[in-house]
Amino acid sequence: MKTRDLHKGLSKGGVFRPQLTSLVDIMVILLFFLIQSFSIEGNLVTASADLELPVSSADKNPQPFCALHITKKQVLVDDIITVTNDKILSAEDFLIPELFKMMKAQKAKNTDPASKGKLLIQADKEIPFAIVKKVMYTCSKAGFEDFKVLVVQEE
Amino acid sequence: MHKLSKEKTGIMQLSFSKTPRPSEVIEDDIELDITPLMNIFIILVAFLISMAIFTRLAIVEFSLPPNVDSSMNTSEQKPQPKLTVRIDKSYLGIVLGDNLLDSLPVLENKYPFDSLQSRLAIRSSEHDFKGEIVVASVDQIAFKMVVRTMDICRNAGFEKVGLSSATADPEAPR
Repeated sequence: MKTRDLHKGLSKGGVFRPQLTSLVDIMVILLFFLIQSFSIEGNLVTASADLELPVSSADKNPQPFCALHITKKQVLVDDIITVTNDKILSAEDFLIPELFKMMKAQKAKNTDPASKGKLLIQADKEIPFAIVKKVMYTCSKAGFEDFKVLVVQEE
Repeated sequence: MHKLSKEKTGIMQLSFSKTPRPSEVIEDDIELDITPLMNIFIILVAFLISMAIFTRLAIVEFSLPPNVDSSMNTSEQKPQPKLTVRIDKSYLGIVLGDNLLDSLPVLENKYPFDSLQSRLAIRSSEHDFKGEIVVASVDQIAFKMVVRTMDICRNAGFEKVGLSSATADPEAPR
């Protein structure tokens, strides 16, 4: 019986022909799944790897504005660590000087009128509101008026 | 002419004799060549993987209170009190000015978001708030709860959602 199974793929001439039926089945399933998640536009904004975004029912497409990341440990502007979360929490003042300086520079750097004054915040879902509050306060003092939060769309 | 036709017939007969009849074809000999199909599949899969989106991202828009926003409210007129959802550690409150209208307690660490949506719908029908609402949270609340509350407010029909910090407890939960 075992010998027969081993020789199943062998044709009369002795050439081995693999059974492709199961492979084709997998390919078809994979193709359907990928077509379902296909997007012509793609993602204009990519989420940072070191944070988990909150889930929301919002459906507005994200645009590439000036981005600020609040991870579990620190705040990053342009992928540069600006201030740690512990420092923000321990500070009594709402204004964070290091972040203010950085955001002021970011505001001056951006000359595009379509995205000027707009800020896209990527914040970890578990961070306390106190950090977000102080970050937003500092950014508003640096000249940012339009705030948006990046979220994962609810399925 | 007659000779030629005979030759022709001879060739035809020969060719007929070479072709096996359907009954003679053995089942094992029929094999579909799926190699080109597999080639197309492999190309398609690679292309689709590069264009696929596995997590769909979106943005939540909100406004800051006028005294925080750089465009400060300069009018001397007293601002109209806005309907506010207060997120506290132990309850969700619906506040108007200094009055706590509704208090929904947090049970077993679960925030009563379903009840909040129905209460907000009732409150919005009682008074015209022009689709404006403020979400105010205390410092210790996780950011995901704030986003969820903003979602609930939008689902209840409030289009303009503001974000603010919660002040001292307006009233103990009822």
